[in-house]
This record gives sequence, C-alpha cells and structure tokens, in this order.
Amino acid sequence: MGLDVIVPPRPTKDTLSLGVQHSPEFACLPLKIVIGNLIEAKEKGADTLLMIGGCGPCRFGLYGQLVKEILEDIGISYQTIIIEPPDTGYWQFIRRIKKVIGPVPWWKVIQSIQLGYKKALLIDQLEKFVQEIRPREYNKGIADQIFNNSLQMIDNTQNLTELEEVFGLTKEKLWHIPKNEYADVLEIGLVGEIYTLLEPFASVEIERKLGKMGASVQRSLYLSEWVKEHLFTSKIFGLKENEYRSYASPFLNHFVGGHGIESIGAGVVFAHKGYDGIVQIAPLTCMPEIVAHNIFPQVSKKCGIPVLNIYVDEQTGQAGLDTRLEAYIELLQAKRHSLTAKNQYVNIP
Amino acid sequence: MGWKIGLPRGLSYYTYFPLWRTFYQALGVEVIESATTNKAILDQGVKSVVDETCLPVKVFFGHAASLCSCELDYLFIPRLISVERKAYICPKFMGLPDMFNASRIQHPPLIKPVVNKVKSDRNEQFLWDCASPFTTKWSKIKKAWQEAEQEQSSHEQNLIKDYQDDDKLNILILGHDYNLYDHYINMGLWKKLQDLDCSIITPAQFSKEERDTQLKKFPRSVFWTYGRNLLGAVYCFMQRPGKKGVLILSSFGCGIDSFIDNFIIRRLIEHKIPYLNIILDEHTGEGGLVTRLEAFVDIIRWRSDYYQDHLSPYGQYVGCCKRDAGIHGLGCDCSTTSH
Repeated sequence: MGLDVIVPPRPTKDTLSLGVQHSPEFACLPLKIVIGNLIEAKEKGADTLLMIGGCGPCRFGLYGQLVKEILEDIGISYQTIIIEPPDTGYWQFIRRIKKVIGPVPWWKVIQSIQLGYKKALLIDQLEKFVQEIRPREYNKGIADQIFNNSLQMIDNTQNLTELEEVFGLTKEKLWHIPKNEYADVLEIGLVGEIYTLLEPFASVEIERKLGKMGASVQRSLYLSEWVKEHLFTSKIFGLKENEYRSYASPFLNHFVGGHGIESIGAGVVFAHKGYDGIVQIAPLTCMPEIVAHNIFPQVSKKCGIPVLNIYVDEQTGQAGLDTRLEAYIELLQAKRHSLTAKNQYVNIP
Repeated sequence: MGWKIGLPRGLSYYTYFPLWRTFYQALGVEVIESATTNKAILDQGVKSVVDETCLPVKVFFGHAASLCSCELDYLFIPRLISVERKAYICPKFMGLPDMFNASRIQHPPLIKPVVNKVKSDRNEQFLWDCASPFTTKWSKIKKAWQEAEQEQSSHEQNLIKDYQDDDKLNILILGHDYNLYDHYINMGLWKKLQDLDCSIITPAQFSKEERDTQLKKFPRSVFWTYGRNLLGAVYCFMQRPGKKGVLILSSFGCGIDSFIDNFIIRRLIEHKIPYLNIILDEHTGEGGLVTRLEAFVDIIRWRSDYYQDHLSPYGQYVGCCKRDAGIHGLGCDCSTTSH
C-alpha cells in the first residue's frame, strides 16, 4: 500500500525484560511484550504506532492510551493512531482508517486486505497440518523447520498466484516427511486468551512441547478465524454469533470480556469431539480467563475431560512447565490405556 | 408466608445495599445479610475459588457460603454487567453467578438478575427476575423499586460532602467500594488514619456529575465504572486546596486497577501530590501497613512544614543508574541530588 511497515523483531527475553521494566506490575503479559516490542521497533526507525482500540470490559481497550503514556515517559514518541472498532461509530472508523492510508485509493486497500487475509488463512492451514505431523514424525523438528522457512517465503509473496505456489510447495514438503502413521497420538485442545494462544513466545512454545511429547494439539482460535469474525462479520455484515457461545451456555451464559466464554465453549466442543484433554493458557491476572478457570472444574466433571490450567508471566523458567506437561501427558496416556483396556474386557464375551 | 432471601456482604453490596435491602423489604421479604467479614469467612472464601482470583471475590464467596448454612429460600447474586451507559463493572462481576454455581458450595436456589445498561436503561426483565419468585403483581414491584431507588439516591446524596479546608491533612482513599468500606479487608485503615489525625476523603464525596465532567479531561473513555469513579475523583481532588495525599488501595491482581492506578499515578506525579499504593491480599499482618502509613503521613507533614524545597524531588528518580531509572518508569535526571 506504499506504507513502510516495520515489523518488530520476534519477541525474545530481551523484549520481555524491556517491557517488564516499563509496565505496571500487574498488567498482563501481552502489554509487557507489546511495550518491549515497541521500544525495539523504535530503534529500527518506526514513527507511527497503529493500535486497535476497544470498548471493554477487557483491558485491551485501554492498551493504546497506556502504551502511549508509558512510552512518552521514557522519551519515546510515536504518532499514535488508535482505531476503535466499528461498533462505536462507522464514520469515526472510516476517518481513522483514511488517516492511516493517506492518498492510497480504496480499491488498493481492499486488495491488500484480501491478500493479507489469504496469507493468514493459508498459514493457519499449514499450521494445522504441522500440528498433525509433529507428534508422528521420526526426526523431531523437521516439520517446524519447513514451516518456519515457508513463513518467510509467504511473507515475501506479492500476489495471490505466488502465494498459492509457495503454499503448494510447502504442503508437498510437509507431506513427504517420514512419519509413523500408527503412532498412538493423544489429542489435546488448547484454549485460552488469544495472544498467548497465537504468539509462541508468550505461550512458552507449549504447542511444540506437547507435539514433541506425542500429542497432537488443536487450538480453539486461529488468526484467520479471529480476523474473519471480528473484522468481516462485525456489525456491518450482520450476525456475529459464535458457535462456541451456545456450547458454553450451560456453564457460563454471558459474555465476560476477552475470550472467557469462547474458552469454556471450545472446551465443551473438544470434549464432545472426544479429545483426551484440554490445556487452558492465559496471562496471569487476565480477568476473563480467571472466570473461565473457575468454571472449568465443572466442565471437567460434567464432560469427563481433564483440564490443565497454565498461567504465563515474565517468569520464563521452562523446567517447571515441562514437568507439569509431562505429568499431564502421562496421566492422559494412562487414562486412555485404561479406557481401551476396559473396552476390550467388555467386548470379550 | 415469610420468604427469606440472603444478601452476601461482598462486592456490589457495599455500593448498592440500600437498593437491594429496601426493594426486598418493600416486597415483604425478610432480608438476611451475612455478618461483617471475619477470619472464618475469608478462609471459607479462599477455599472455594481458584488462587488466581482476587481477594474481594474470595471474600464474596466466603459470605455467600456462610449464608448457605442459614435456612434461606433464595440467595441473591446479581450479574452486574453495567450500571451506566458505555461502562462495564468488571469481568468477574459478569461471571459471578456462574462461578458460584461451579464452586462446590451447596446453595439454595439463586436469584441472579442481569443488570445491563450498556445500551438501554430498560429494566423490566431485571425487575421481573428479581421479584417474580415473591410476587407477580407488577404494580407492587414497580412501587417497591421506586422506593428502593429513592433510598439508594438519598444514600448516595448523604455520602457527598465537600471537605472543610482546615489544617488537617486530607487523605483521599482511592479504592473500590468493597475494599474501601470493608474494614476487615482494609485492616481498619480508616481508624488508623484518623488516629494519625488525618481527615479521610472518599471518591463518593464528589458528586457523580462532577466526577464525570472532570473525567472528560482524560483522552479516552474509561469503560469501567469503578475506574471512572477513581479517576474522576482524582481529577476533582486535584482541584481542591489544602494539604493533600492520596492513598491508593487496590487488591492483588486487580485487572482494572493495574491500568487505572498507572494513569492515576502519572497524573498525581504531574501535580506533585504524594501517593501511597497499598495492595491488599489474604495476608493479615498489620504491622507493615501501620509503618507505611506512619511514614507516609510523616513525610507529607515534613514536606509542607519544614523542608519545603529540600525534600527529594517527589516522584523522580535521583540516582544515576540508568537501569533503575527505567524501572521507575521515569527519566534519569542526574542534576538533581537528594538530601
């Protein structure tokens, strides 16, 4: 679109410690990473900050303002543009966007959005595929390598045909990874707060860890789905009802901000689909997820599915988490074996 | 026949107790309130919810559990989503009845009306949910509600008072109502401050209109009612004369306060008003609190009485270590020296 977009470097420990220094102590992890990230992006030369606003009740709605004040205090000034969701007023929404894009014509904007959305969609498809392969491959880590390479390539594509090509190639490569088709793979549903779900750094790479331990992981949220739900089907296009909500209603029948209700609903859906377990992941002090956490024991009891709750914060020690995950996986395996043993016993006359 | 309804003394109780109490009394229902918070209630609450939950919710569960052992017909746990336009209360208030259902507490049937004024002020459904177990006469419900609303507004009016500009030190306590008025949770903070010869100002002393007008100075709209109260009160307080100090009282892990407090602190630093940030949790040791309060009050007094200009620059980091300055969230100003 002719805008110079500076992609902040992937968050690392340095990013986090920069963010932790400057953020309020009890703020959630995403804010700390965002602040760290913005400081690093400034060093790379970014001058305008584009944030999505919100109108509550999750804290995310005030990120823009807080980030701006914190950065000003440490002497970093960005020109901040906060885009409120269209729900609060269409004209304002359009005006703000106009301010961002400047003289670029609208058709070009729509084209780029299309391309961007398609990229997200295909990356998510690849990722789902990788999640299937991870526990089954003989040489651990190959699928991830191929996937990471393809991310770079997808990022560089400029139009739809190139994109399709890269996608096909990657899929082919993934397909040919030697894998054990008969492996006994646990199915785990990952639910929780969106940022910690989508950003591997924030979730301490939990998906990869579980994959290596022999579990195939499905997330409740993928980026493309979120974009579809929030940008394309918000008020302008009518209905915005999420299927998870109806599943959550026996346990939690009201929106609690963030993704609290989706977490519960997805948990129930995973249980119905016969998954072996659910892992809930959320930043410490995340309000909607705490509500969900309080309700999960009941879901677990009613649907007969074990739930592991993990809170992430700036403590990046891995060993404790590894131990918990291993123990959880072993319990799930034991549960599965005892179930199959029982079934065999029942089947023999 | 005499109905009995239980009203847990926690969370929204401290803001709306005249409303609920009068409403049910006018309907001819006996209202049973739980005792003021004590150790047993707190312990029970801590046991009933997951650790990550904040203190006030734990206390609320303790109160609700203590009521469950009484013989009640109903237990009243409202789902407060929003009490004013475009502002929510807190996600935890929104999931309160569900969280209570999911806990292991054996409980009488719940009355869990939904209060949602984000988009409209219509309250028929809410009133019906509140009152239908006891009466189906619409006129009676309306009348009771009117009475209750009157009681509530007169209660709020009574709280409003502008403070006298005498020589006393004025301390504004910024806390959500359930921390502010629950003297067990806040460890008798009021009494302790009064003993130190301070006069206490609460956010409720400024009228809602004034708070809302002042809040327009804030560049974004704040979408939490409690957050609005606090931030508005700070803006009002900054305009008042006299010796001033602000005491920020928040609960451990409070999501709203983690942001609002930060905004408040920035504004206080700008106006050079001293503040003390106290975070409450299940620990009940009072010694640390007393020491901090005394030190805080002493410093404000010295600052205004003796060393006006010689005290270390308030809110600024005075050392020369850049990294520490960063942790303060403040720029490093090496020219200033401490005394």
